[in-house]
Amino acid sequence: MLPAPAVELTGITKRFPGVVANDDVHIRVAEGEIHAVVGENGAGKSTLMKILYGMLVPDEGQMTVDGDEVSFSSPGEAIDRGIGMVHQHFMLADNLTVLENVILGAEPVKRGAIDLEAARTSLEELGAAYGLDIHPDDMVETLEVGERQRVEIIKVLYRGAKILILDEPTAVLVPQEVEELFRNLRELKVQGHTIIFIDHKLTEVLEIADTITVLRAGRTVTTVDAGDVTAQELAELMIGGDLPSPSTATHQIDDHVTLSLAGVSVTDDDEREALSDIDLTLHRGEILGVAGVEGNGQGELIEAILGLRPTAGGSLTFNGEDISDWSVRRRRESGIGYVPEDRHRRGLLLDAPLWENAMLGHQTVEPFARGSLIDRSGARDATEAIVSQFDVRTPGIDTTARALSGGNQQKLVIGREIAADPLLLIAAHPTRGIDVGAQAAVWEELRRVRAEGLSLLLVSADLHELIGLADRLVVMLGGRIVAELDPAETTPRLLGSHMTGADATNGESSS
Amino acid sequence: MSPVPLKESRSLRWMVAILGLVLVLSVTQELARPETTDLISAGTAGSTLRRAVPILLAGLGGIWAERAGVVNIGLEGMMILGTWFGAWGALEFGPWWGIAIGIAGGAAGGLLHAVATVGFGVDHIISGVAINILAPGITRFLSREIFATQTGGGITQSPRVESVGHFDVPFVSGGQIFGWATPDIFGWIDDRGWFLVSDLFAIASGITSNISWATLLAIALVPGTVYVLWRTPFGLRVRSCGEHPVAADSLGVNVYRMKYAAVVISGGMAGFGGAFIAIEQTGIYREAQTQGRGFIGLATVIFGNWQPLGAFLGSILFGFADALQLRDRTAVHALLLLTGVAVGLIALRALKRSQPVGAGVLILVSALMLWWYSATDSVMGELPPVTPHIATLLVLVFASSRLRMPAADGMRYRKGQE
Repeated sequence: MLPAPAVELTGITKRFPGVVANDDVHIRVAEGEIHAVVGENGAGKSTLMKILYGMLVPDEGQMTVDGDEVSFSSPGEAIDRGIGMVHQHFMLADNLTVLENVILGAEPVKRGAIDLEAARTSLEELGAAYGLDIHPDDMVETLEVGERQRVEIIKVLYRGAKILILDEPTAVLVPQEVEELFRNLRELKVQGHTIIFIDHKLTEVLEIADTITVLRAGRTVTTVDAGDVTAQELAELMIGGDLPSPSTATHQIDDHVTLSLAGVSVTDDDEREALSDIDLTLHRGEILGVAGVEGNGQGELIEAILGLRPTAGGSLTFNGEDISDWSVRRRRESGIGYVPEDRHRRGLLLDAPLWENAMLGHQTVEPFARGSLIDRSGARDATEAIVSQFDVRTPGIDTTARALSGGNQQKLVIGREIAADPLLLIAAHPTRGIDVGAQAAVWEELRRVRAEGLSLLLVSADLHELIGLADRLVVMLGGRIVAELDPAETTPRLLGSHMTGADATNGESSS
Repeated sequence: MSPVPLKESRSLRWMVAILGLVLVLSVTQELARPETTDLISAGTAGSTLRRAVPILLAGLGGIWAERAGVVNIGLEGMMILGTWFGAWGALEFGPWWGIAIGIAGGAAGGLLHAVATVGFGVDHIISGVAINILAPGITRFLSREIFATQTGGGITQSPRVESVGHFDVPFVSGGQIFGWATPDIFGWIDDRGWFLVSDLFAIASGITSNISWATLLAIALVPGTVYVLWRTPFGLRVRSCGEHPVAADSLGVNVYRMKYAAVVISGGMAGFGGAFIAIEQTGIYREAQTQGRGFIGLATVIFGNWQPLGAFLGSILFGFADALQLRDRTAVHALLLLTGVAVGLIALRALKRSQPVGAGVLILVSALMLWWYSATDSVMGELPPVTPHIATLLVLVFASSRLRMPAADGMRYRKGQE
């Protein structure tokens, strides 16, 4: 007889008002394997994992852990059975130390107080045992993204978890950090842990997983061995159709310069130089890709062009006019569109209806305003047009933005910017965190408007996206442009080595 | 850097700062003589401490609630409940019971706030304002039902109540041990009139003689709060609810229970503050006797950067302004001089840190204060009573830039939401 699976989910069904998130899902995870769960956003992966971790209670179905039937009503019960979860959005309190975050809820106690010495010792032991480098007394707010993730993993291991659930762990990491994470995961596997890994980046899944279960629209499609499928086949299983690709057809770029930066410098909040002496030109109908490890000046570059951050030197010319002293509003009205990196924080008012969201940034111009007043009916009509043109799937324009899935939120943001008919569109990570289907729609839309003569400044961490879409690539490192590349002759590996400043011959890339 | 020298240097810095403060006070006192002699004296020090206690307790209450992520603007109302229940308890069962029942009254207000904000997700400000409106109504009703029928009582006040015991610290301030009067060393040095030294001992004498046991208890709550919030599992869980409740929930912490507990404790602290006003400060319950100290307590929370020690310092500052305007109105005129000197010093620091604009404004303010002081002999009658409030405003203006509130403070939390 086969050994009992570490986790088995049978016939799991979970309904929310108006939607079935999981519909008769079956998953069997063997002990000591890395099992990937893939699917588009909204396919029910997160719901399923929340059920396994006790954050949600299923309406139907059974769960077994190590052969015993279980039912969890809180994460505490799942933790007791050796299940731990690393959440997609880190569950860390910034203003507490690493140590406090790790021991929270399972504090070692000596005479009524927290036994800090014991806690510190066990943290250091765990770090050493699994090769996870952490400093217990650092404040979490000072940590890099990769370090935060290590804290999350330590947090789970500290509670004695043998089964680890990781919800889209690579979404926030740069390629080098992904490699580090995969090294850690392999180490955990060697030491006998079972890992359930949720993702939709298929090349990564194929690299790390032993077994892959595909979900689509809340149902299990199939479970396959990682060695038996290609990324192409997996993608087709996920979306139930052909795989989209970011590559663009050849087309004409004209000589007209839409945007040019000459010697632009910017200082950050701590008065340090965040951009030094940037020269850039962007032509009509051109997509300029900006690559770089996050925090190397891309954010400041965008803010300088939009006027959100004052420049310390240099000049900005847009469409033949010097805009260095213009207000953000004037720049926007003269034809600069912006798709922000973080749609939740900067792109949308999550608790406002779609028609109000569609108005943001354009609230002073037709059709959203008449004189100094908001034109409600004009705004609603315009929103309806955006929703239908950009295929935003929503019950109506009075729905709040929060109720939409990530992909649909992003389509609304992009639609809002494109519908205003800009000359220049600045797009920061336009397909981050959205599924393959929505990604294809976004790419298609960007290509279409480029063909109509729009200039696009594309900042992205997705190297395939940059290489596939851009006409020209620049690489930023430490606030400078360190390389300019032709995407036709670039590989992710080469790009990665420029991004980290390593010699091109030493560049190491996972893909 | 190893932790020991850091700790040493920190306590050294504290001592230097306190010494500097006393020096500034002494110098100002010398300048202001003979107009007032109350800027620095044993009487002022003792009065400052007594005036500071209710504000401190409200501040600690604010810290408890806000560390758990609940904004408690209802502290004032909970304090009002504390004054009434404190006085009633003291009348019925004696002063210590009065303190305990006052705490319970405030805690009941806290529970109401917790039910509204944590249980039903009502906006924290709305619930707090409602409690501030409700509390005077409840106490007026109760006074009419109970105090109005008693001799010396009425619908706006209670009969006089007895206070809890007081003591002098033996050997330093002439306290008695088994009936033997120990020497009053601090008082003796105070009387010598040595510049700075006598002033230091005047302060020491003021805070070690005629101390109420309730004051001692209130001050013990500062290290007590630090210990519980930062050293115990319960405290860590409470703080995690104010920083990232979803994370706390995902680790099996019962967020609702922690928030309830913290807000009830918060109300209890405010209730203690109210009972202190009725039983210790005035010896009587009188309507509206809290005079907005709950709000000032809230200001000390912000001033103190959500740290108990910071709130303590804030309450001392406000207590000082309050004590001064009560004891000696002419001293408030001297306060102009003090403010002028203090703002001037802050301006020098700003100049050293190359912040010319800020320094310029501060120098202007300083000059204005000094001019006001020298051009007048007294301040208008309206100024002294509002001095504590002006001090509150000034301090918040200067302190607000480097503050860090709990990340999830004031946010509605629902289990299961992202």
